[in-house]
Order: sequence, then structure tokens, then C-alpha cells
Amino acid sequence: MTKIFWAIVGKELIAFIRSWQLVFVVLYAFSVEVYIAGSGIEINPRNVAVGYVDLTGGGMSQKILTRLHAPEFLPPKRFDSQQQLSRAIFNKEIIIGIVFNADFEKNWRGGKRTQLDVLVDATAASQAYTTLGYLQNIVLDLSGVNLLLEIASHKLFNPNADNHTFMALTEMLSIITMLTVILTAVVFVREKEQGTWDIMLLMPVDPKLIILAKSFSQVIIVMVGIVISLGFVVFGMFETPMNGSFAAFMVLSFFYVFATAGIGLFIAAVARDVMQVAQLSIIIMMPMIFLSGAWTPIHAMHPLLQLLSYASPLRYYIEGSESIFYRGTQWGDLWPYFLGVTAVGGVMYAMGFRKIGRLF
Amino acid sequence: MGTLKIDRVTVRHKEKVSIKNVSFEAEKGEIIGFIGADGAGKSSLMHAIAGVIAFEGEVRFDQHAYRSPKEAEGVKSLISLMPQGIGLVLYDLLTVDEHLRFFADIRNVPQDEAYHTYKTRLLKMAGLEKFREFRAGNLSGGMMQKLSLICSLLHRPKLLILDEPTTGVDPMSRIELWEILDQIRREEGTIALVSTAYMEEAARMDRVLLFDEGEIIAQGSAKELIESVREMTYLRTPEAPEGTITTLERSYSLLPLSAEHAEPTLESLFFVNALRTNRAPPPVEITRRDSEENGNPVLMEAYSLTKMFGPFVANDRIDLQLKRGEIVGLLGANGAGKTTFIKMLLGLHSIDGGELKLFGRAIRNTDDRQALKASIGYVSQHFALYNDMTIRENLLYFAAMRQIPIDTALKRISRYASELGFSNYLDSVPTELPLGINQRFSLAAALLHEPAVLFLDEPTSGVDAIARSQFWELLSALKEKWGIAILITTHYMSEAEFCDRVVLLREGGKVADDTVANLYALHPDARTFEDIFREYYR
Repeated sequence: MTKIFWAIVGKELIAFIRSWQLVFVVLYAFSVEVYIAGSGIEINPRNVAVGYVDLTGGGMSQKILTRLHAPEFLPPKRFDSQQQLSRAIFNKEIIIGIVFNADFEKNWRGGKRTQLDVLVDATAASQAYTTLGYLQNIVLDLSGVNLLLEIASHKLFNPNADNHTFMALTEMLSIITMLTVILTAVVFVREKEQGTWDIMLLMPVDPKLIILAKSFSQVIIVMVGIVISLGFVVFGMFETPMNGSFAAFMVLSFFYVFATAGIGLFIAAVARDVMQVAQLSIIIMMPMIFLSGAWTPIHAMHPLLQLLSYASPLRYYIEGSESIFYRGTQWGDLWPYFLGVTAVGGVMYAMGFRKIGRLF
Repeated sequence: MGTLKIDRVTVRHKEKVSIKNVSFEAEKGEIIGFIGADGAGKSSLMHAIAGVIAFEGEVRFDQHAYRSPKEAEGVKSLISLMPQGIGLVLYDLLTVDEHLRFFADIRNVPQDEAYHTYKTRLLKMAGLEKFREFRAGNLSGGMMQKLSLICSLLHRPKLLILDEPTTGVDPMSRIELWEILDQIRREEGTIALVSTAYMEEAARMDRVLLFDEGEIIAQGSAKELIESVREMTYLRTPEAPEGTITTLERSYSLLPLSAEHAEPTLESLFFVNALRTNRAPPPVEITRRDSEENGNPVLMEAYSLTKMFGPFVANDRIDLQLKRGEIVGLLGANGAGKTTFIKMLLGLHSIDGGELKLFGRAIRNTDDRQALKASIGYVSQHFALYNDMTIRENLLYFAAMRQIPIDTALKRISRYASELGFSNYLDSVPTELPLGINQRFSLAAALLHEPAVLFLDEPTSGVDAIARSQFWELLSALKEKWGIAILITTHYMSEAEFCDRVVLLREGGKVADDTVANLYALHPDARTFEDIFREYYR
């Protein structure tokens, strides 16, 4: 029994390594794709183009402007009139426009109430608002107001409030989902396409063993991909903290990948060729990823969607992984995530297993 | 409308030259047959003439001369090419009518009165009038090919290029295809270039070109070609000096043999050519198997086996017996239920009625089968092999799945490799190999566990004459030395004669089950087995 099991696993691994397109796709997804997600998606202001109209003749206005520096802002650009500035914003050359009115300096120095006019291109809403917050802080700082209240914040788990590590990690988890589903479905559907399916059915081997061995071989491939992605990108490039147990993460991943392979089995049972596998995987995976909290925090979703999200095993996987990486949660306290992944995932794998088992 | 002149055409695929400096001419209304082994360059030449691939040399058709696909643009309205492969130009989800409309539209055929009469006639000739609302995906292979042919005739081409239009098509549909072709060329004066693997068809053409390694090595009418090898053809003789090829029917030798001469056929050309070019295949030898089988001589009994697909009856109460040391041929048109029947015997389709006994044991559920899988070998229609592994790896994998100890497996693989003649290819990937080699290696895979019964589903389709005759010798050697029982389906009527018993299916039912000799006795007028086949399909 075990000999046959390893024969099948070995054969699938050889077949995988020989098809260089597939190897390329897996390596690409686990490295470049994760890197792009981590470095490309930006919520904090970066390289914001600032334009200004200064009718005061310098002084205070220049003081404020010098505080707007790289990497958040590009060097501020001067405009002669408010019309020119508005046009520049309209033409997407400038994102933030500041207008220093003629009496701005005089009122400031005189200790009178004054006003700074700001024009914002709010298309990229979160960037615009964070930029406004920056400006407010600068002005507040410059006015030297002595507030009686002070905020003493203490950033937990992600001390630099760096969202790169977080984005890279969730992207990796999404890619694990996608590749597991597609790879597992493809190994079965390729047998259908090549016509070897019938030959396999005629072997004096328990079909359950064949299904198990074939899906296990793909789990191995994805697990290797996870190690590569963690080593080179998540830890290597983004220096993501690892506050918990690495082993715990790998075990959780193993359970999750096996569960997700069940979706692949389901798709393989329905699809006729590799093309259909691609179409079906997208239809099935989109809601699963969407409901997992990978893109939007679950507490910010519509209550109904929040309820549905309990059915996505990716939800438990992402929450569990975050806990391990950032919070350093210990083995004993990870049980809700292990339970979620194995319970929801177990049902999924069983369903896929039964569905494809009927074809045997 | 005039003639076709091919002038020193060469076709290269990267480094490989598939056609070398070929020239020939064809007159209006002529049907020219292309015959030759796999990879002899027939398809390449056809594609070059159709102006769809780059070539060197010149093709002159009618008033146009062209040397590249671009220059051929002008004559494309006069040409029609039907590429190799059943239903390749059809769309599964379109109906017959929609196909005709589509092909008329892309060919810019005005849909006037004349077109409609012509279309109705084509449909009638193809016997498709009743199927106009059917989707192509639901048609049988033979119907698909007839539909492809009439679709390529809609714009009344003057040059028709058909690449193996009849491969894998049953004899009845083949006859109908030829009738359409014959009528069209007489009425329209169309030149037809047709490649074929069926020598009975080649014999009917006006002129036959024999291709070998990219060159035309012989041409003329079928009669002339057959005469040219008369001297080298002998009755089958056991004496086999160096330089003799012996098949199940005849022996061939360039040097005189003491045996009597036999009536040659077009197939004989291939064997004589192999002798001339020193490519004679080694004689077939099979050693006895490791394990000896004894016991019940009846290996399989089927009583009124029935298979339904929805309301459609695919197999209607078929009785069949298979005994040790017997080759039974399962014949029938496309869609007559041959493959369905074999798959039902194998357990790939569920049984909807009747009773099946394998090795004396009634088969009721999958557990009954599991134990018997070790005694059954199967070669499927398209030689299902893993294309990302070498032949050796494929065989080792199959052996592992069958739990054959590794040393036994290695011994058997090397023995089969030399006996079935694929030792040189053990480290190649199946996609790189000719069909004939893949066929033998699929057979080896099916024999690894030394089964008592072998099911073969169209193992010879698309394989060239020499490889086919070798395959049959292998089968008959297996039968004698191993006492194996073989159930085989084929579209080559000439192969029926090598079977001990022939079972004929028609529309899901069994219409004949007898020895070849008895069938000939029942039909005294029949000259070939194809005639007998036609009797049952009348």
C-alpha cells in the first residue's frame, strides 16, 4: 500500500518538475507576485505632488513648505494664481494644492485667527486623508499650542505600523489558496485529457489511495512554495516579524493546504479540460478570498457577509497566521484557528473526495 | 479550369526536411492518392499546396503560380483543405445547419436559389438531411467527417485537399464519403488530393503516389504499382533467410524464394520498399510467460448485456463468449457500440442489464472486479500514456501500480522492449515517437502483469501498414505461446480475417457472431470481408 502511495507521489512530482511552465508559474506566484503585493500596494502617502500659491512673500509659508519632504512628498511646486493651481490639480499634475492668502502671514504674526486653504484631489481617498492629517500635524506643531491633553500611543504587534509585511503575508496566503486549487484540479484533469484516467481505473489499486496520493503530491509542491516564499520574500525582503512558532505556522498551513486541495478535487470532478479548471477555480475562489478578510477587515463588512465569512477556511487561516506572525500567539491558544481550518476544511476535502470518488 | 503543377517543392520544419524536391502534375477531375508511412511527408506537402505553410519551389494551379502562403491568397477561393483528425474543423455546439450557414458565410457564398439546391443535394448525398438540427458534438465520427467534407465543398472548390479523411471512420461512412467525392469530381471537374491509410481506397484512385522519407518513390495507377512488386511477393513461407519479411499472409523477398508467388496488394509496396531500404523489421518472437494459466477455458461470458445512455440504447442485449487462446474481432460502424461494450466489460461503464461472468465469477459490484483487475489487460483507443515521462518510466510506474516486484518488472520490460522492438526508444517521451511504436509500448504496458484476457480498442487506427502487420503477428504469437484471449475492435476489414471469430455490431445490437470462414460460406458472393460487412449494413 505505502509503496504504491509513494510511487504515485513520486510520479506526480517528476511530472511537475518536467513541465517547466508549471514550475515557472508556481515560482513566479510565490516570489514576484508576493513581492509586488507587498511593495506595490500603498496606503500611506508617498511621492505626493504638492503645489502652492504664495501671496504672502515668504516666511511662515516657506517654513510650512519645507516640512513637506521626501519620501512622503515631492518638492512643492510654485504656481502664480489659484486658477493655475486648480488646472494643475484637474490635470492630475498636483494632488495637494495649498493657498497662502495675502493676509496669512500678517494675521499669524499678529496672533489673530487665520486660515490655510487646501485643495485636495480626493480620488485616492485614503491617501488624501492621510496627507491632510500630516498637514494638520505640521500646522499644530508650528503653532506651538500647549494642549493639556497628550496622546501616548503604543503600537503593538507591528511597531512601525508597516503595512508592507501585512500585505505580502496576506497575498502569500491567497496565492497558496489559488495554487493549491488549480494544481490539484490539473493533475486529475490532465489524466482525463490524456486518456490515462481509464488506465488508472483499471489498476488493482484502491481508488481512494490514488486520490489521496495525487492530492498529497500537490500539497508537497505548495508547501515547498511556502518555504521559498517565506524565506526569500516575506522574511528576506520585507523582514516580517515572526513572534510565534514557525512550526505552528507550517502545521496550520499543511492542514489548510490539504483542505483546499478538496476544492481542487471538486473542480476536477466537474471540469472536462484544463481550460474549464481555470474558469471554475476563479468562480469558486473569488468569494472565498473576498470573504476571508484578506482584502477588507471582517469587522468592516456587512453583517450578512460577516456571517458568511465563517464558511471560508481562509478566514481562520489568515487570522491564525496573523496571530502567529505578529502577536506571537502560543500553540495552546491557537486552537480556534486549527479547529476552524480543520473543521471547515475537513468538510470541504470530504466533499471533493466523495465527488471525484464517484467517478472511480 | 486547368491543371495542377507542383514544381520542386521542399518543406522544412526547423531543421527537419519533411518534403524534398517533390514534383507532380494533376489533370482536371483527377483523384490522386497519397500513401506512405507516418511522417513520410504527406501532410506537409498537402499543407504546402493548400498555401497554409511556407515552402520552397512553386505550385501552379489554373493560371496562378505561388511560392508562398501570401502569394497563394488569390487562389484560396478555389481551394479547400480538410486537415487530419475527425471533426477538427467542426464546432461541437453548432448544429449541422448552422455549420453550413457559417461556412457559406465565411467563404462569401451568395445564398441564392442555386446554393440552396446544391446544399440540399450535398446533405442528401451525405445522408445528413435528417440530422440538420443535430449538434456536431452529438454526431458519430463518420457523420462528422461527411459534414466536414460537405462544408468544404460549399464554395465549389476546384482543388480539394483531404488529409486522411477516412482514418478512424467505419466502412459504411467511408463508402459514402467516396461516393460524394466521386460525384463531385465528375460534375465539377475538381482535382482531389487524398491521403489514406486504407489500401482498398487507394486502389480506387486514378493515380497513387507512394511517399517515403519526404520523397515520392513510386507513382502510377494502383494496378501498375501492384504489378511492380509481383516478383517479390510469395505465399507465406516458414523458411526465412536473411532479407525476408513474413507477415500473417505473405512473405516478401528481393531474392528469389522457393515458395510460390502470391497475389500482391498495394500494402505489398510498403514491405518491398522496407526491404529495398534495409529497414526490414526484425521477426517477431515471443517467449512463454512466467506464470502458466490453467483452469476454465471460458474466460468471459456475457448474457444479454445492455447499456443505456438516457433513452438511448447503446448496447442492446449482447451475448458474447471469450475462450482461452482465441482472438475475437468486434466490428461495426462508428457509434455501433463497440467501445461502450468493451468499457462495460472492463467496468468503466456500469451495466444496465444482463449478466457478466469473468473467469467463471459473476460480476455484481466493484469488489468483484477489484480482484480480477490483475488478470485483465487493456489498450485504449488513443494509447493513453503519460506524456511527461519516458517509456521506461511509464512502464515502471504501471508495474509499481500493479505491485510487480521491481526486479521482475525490470526483467519483463527489457524482454518486451526487445521482443516488441522498442529497445531504442525506452528513454524517449511518447509524444516524440511514431504511433506504431507507441502502439507496441501500450501493448507492453497492458502485458506487464501477464493478463489472461486482453481488450484492445482500435489499436491499429492511424498506424502504418508495416507496423500493423507486425502488431497482428504479435497478437497471434501471444495467442499461441500464452494462450491469451483477445477481444479487439478495428476499422480495417482486412484485419477481420486474422481473427478466429468475428462479432458484428449494428446500432447497439449483435448481428453476426461466427468464424470468418463460415461468414464467407454464408455470403458466397463476397470477394472481400468488406463486402460481407456491407451485407449486414444494407
